[in-house]
Amino acid sequence: MTHYDLELVKLRKVYPGGTVAVEEFDLSVKRGEFISFVGPSGCGKTTTLRMIAGLESITSGDLVIRGKNFTNVPTEHRPTSTIFQNYAIFPHMTVRQNIEFGLHVRKLGAAEIKKRTDAIIEKLELGDVVNARESALSGGQKQRLSLARGLVTEPDILLLDEPLGALDANLRKSIQEELKILQRELNITFVFVTHAQSEALSMGDRVVVMNAGKVEQVSAPFELYTRPQSAFVARFIGRNRIIPGELAEVAEGRASVITPLGKFSGVPSFKQGAASVGQKAMLVAPSEYIDIVPAHEKAADASFEKAEGTVMTLEPVGHVVYVGVELPGMAPMRIEAYRERIEGRNIENGSRVELRWKPERATIVLGEM
Amino acid sequence: MQDAKFLKIGLGTYTALFIAFLYAPFVVMGILSFQQGPEGGPQFPIIEWSTYWYQHVLGFAPPSRVAPLPIGEALARSITLAVATMIVSTVLGTLTAQAFRRHFKGSGFVFYLVVLGMMVPGVLLGLGMALVADQFGIPRTWWGTAFVLHVVYTYPFAFLVMLAIFNRFDGSVEEAAWALGVPPGRTFRKITFPIIFPGVLSAMLFAFTLSYDEFPRTLFTGGSEVTMPIAIYGTFAVEIHPNLFAFGVLTTVFSFALLTVYGLLMMASVRRAKVRISGLQEEIE
Repeated sequence: MTHYDLELVKLRKVYPGGTVAVEEFDLSVKRGEFISFVGPSGCGKTTTLRMIAGLESITSGDLVIRGKNFTNVPTEHRPTSTIFQNYAIFPHMTVRQNIEFGLHVRKLGAAEIKKRTDAIIEKLELGDVVNARESALSGGQKQRLSLARGLVTEPDILLLDEPLGALDANLRKSIQEELKILQRELNITFVFVTHAQSEALSMGDRVVVMNAGKVEQVSAPFELYTRPQSAFVARFIGRNRIIPGELAEVAEGRASVITPLGKFSGVPSFKQGAASVGQKAMLVAPSEYIDIVPAHEKAADASFEKAEGTVMTLEPVGHVVYVGVELPGMAPMRIEAYRERIEGRNIENGSRVELRWKPERATIVLGEM
Repeated sequence: MQDAKFLKIGLGTYTALFIAFLYAPFVVMGILSFQQGPEGGPQFPIIEWSTYWYQHVLGFAPPSRVAPLPIGEALARSITLAVATMIVSTVLGTLTAQAFRRHFKGSGFVFYLVVLGMMVPGVLLGLGMALVADQFGIPRTWWGTAFVLHVVYTYPFAFLVMLAIFNRFDGSVEEAAWALGVPPGRTFRKITFPIIFPGVLSAMLFAFTLSYDEFPRTLFTGGSEVTMPIAIYGTFAVEIHPNLFAFGVLTTVFSFALLTVYGLLMMASVRRAKVRISGLQEEIE
């Protein structure tokens, strides 16, 4: 017996005509885990979700839910529920009828159906609109109705396909929180597809980053944010600053790159032996970890890596200032700094500045920009 | 400014002419149907206003030199044929349109094959069918050979209506139903069909009206038991009396009644939804 709720084993999708939508996808999800799939449109995240739901056929590989193989089982016999981006509310039914619809095929007594429906209506605060139809519901109410309808059948796994995409920013934030709380209370596995990295990072216990049909990285949010494993993740997730170069040294837990700004060391994202000296690589550090100081304040502190440049632009936004720094041999870099760190220290257009960061905070990733 | 004024006058004239050509024949027919009878003929002036020809059509007038319209059985046949055609064509049209929701090999060819049924000239089709029937010794009847041609003719209309309906249909509600554990058959009955129902009504209306006044295909294939349009055409050969106009008015009133029922059915679901909303609002207030 496996203790995983959901296992994808070399799951693959090829469309008729030969387009590969999803390349060998491997993933094991524990019960009660909140998994986010994130990536640009067309990366295969929705296709993967639809393969799990049974709405898209699986070309090869296996789909296992709670130890049972569901690869070739039709949608209606899978222990999953799907929440659609457009909610897919049945327009000719009331809120209550929408919720009850999935229960009628389950051979439950009328009393049990009513009990379950009433419970979910209360939980998702739909009591005021039980007899309304879709046309009378607000965006948030439709969202809650689609959740109620999907959860009332007590699925093992809830699949959510960009469920917050159609909501305005404020509502989105509050529903994100509601969803997270709901998931913790119910303790069922959520698979959440989104194209917004902030959503993926704030909601997922683990985040799967996809690009062009391939899984780029599967990590916990903080790990993903601070330790990208590929050039794509370095660019797509977080606010990384990137210095391109070539691999100079590789050792256990330590590597260095030669860049136009000098030689820098950092933590390699790859295993020793997986790369060779001279290969294209880049130094990646989250913007938050890079400090900016006037060049004349140079500290002799050897625990920092340093690069010198000239300030080209200053763009204050609230209490943060975005500083454009021209660097020799590469594109200008935009640094974020608190206002008092800039204004109190005479950093102006044309000033020479030093960028500094701790080498252990930087990651070395293989590949090119 | 001057241009806009001319445009307004031009468009107004155009619209007036359009309406005149659309309704003038019917208005003239309506007026003449109240001609005095049985001596009054199908022309102006009106000798005296009367409802004689209505009584004549409905069989209440005393016997006269004008033979009653042979409508009794012909009308029954036409309505039976139209209803049967409507049912078969709508079912076929809906199922075919459903098939076209997914692209399949040869779908373009099948599309034109179906649509051919409404493009081939009716007289040719009727004549061809009559020849084929005679060749194979199949009797020509309104419920057999003519019925088949009526379906061939009206099925493409029902199909095109349903194709347009499915084009606007959002398939994610079906996927949502499947994902809730509801099998495809039940999903079609409980989700798809109720949503496309207004379209199905339109397809039915098309099939019914097209079959009801179908002439060229029926002429050659209907056999000796004639349908309504053929029966009326038969009376032209002798002499035209205003009883024909009275009948025309009656059938038009009947058609409008049918359309009204259709409209009411269409509105019913909308109103149901609205009643619920307003009830809800009262509750909240």
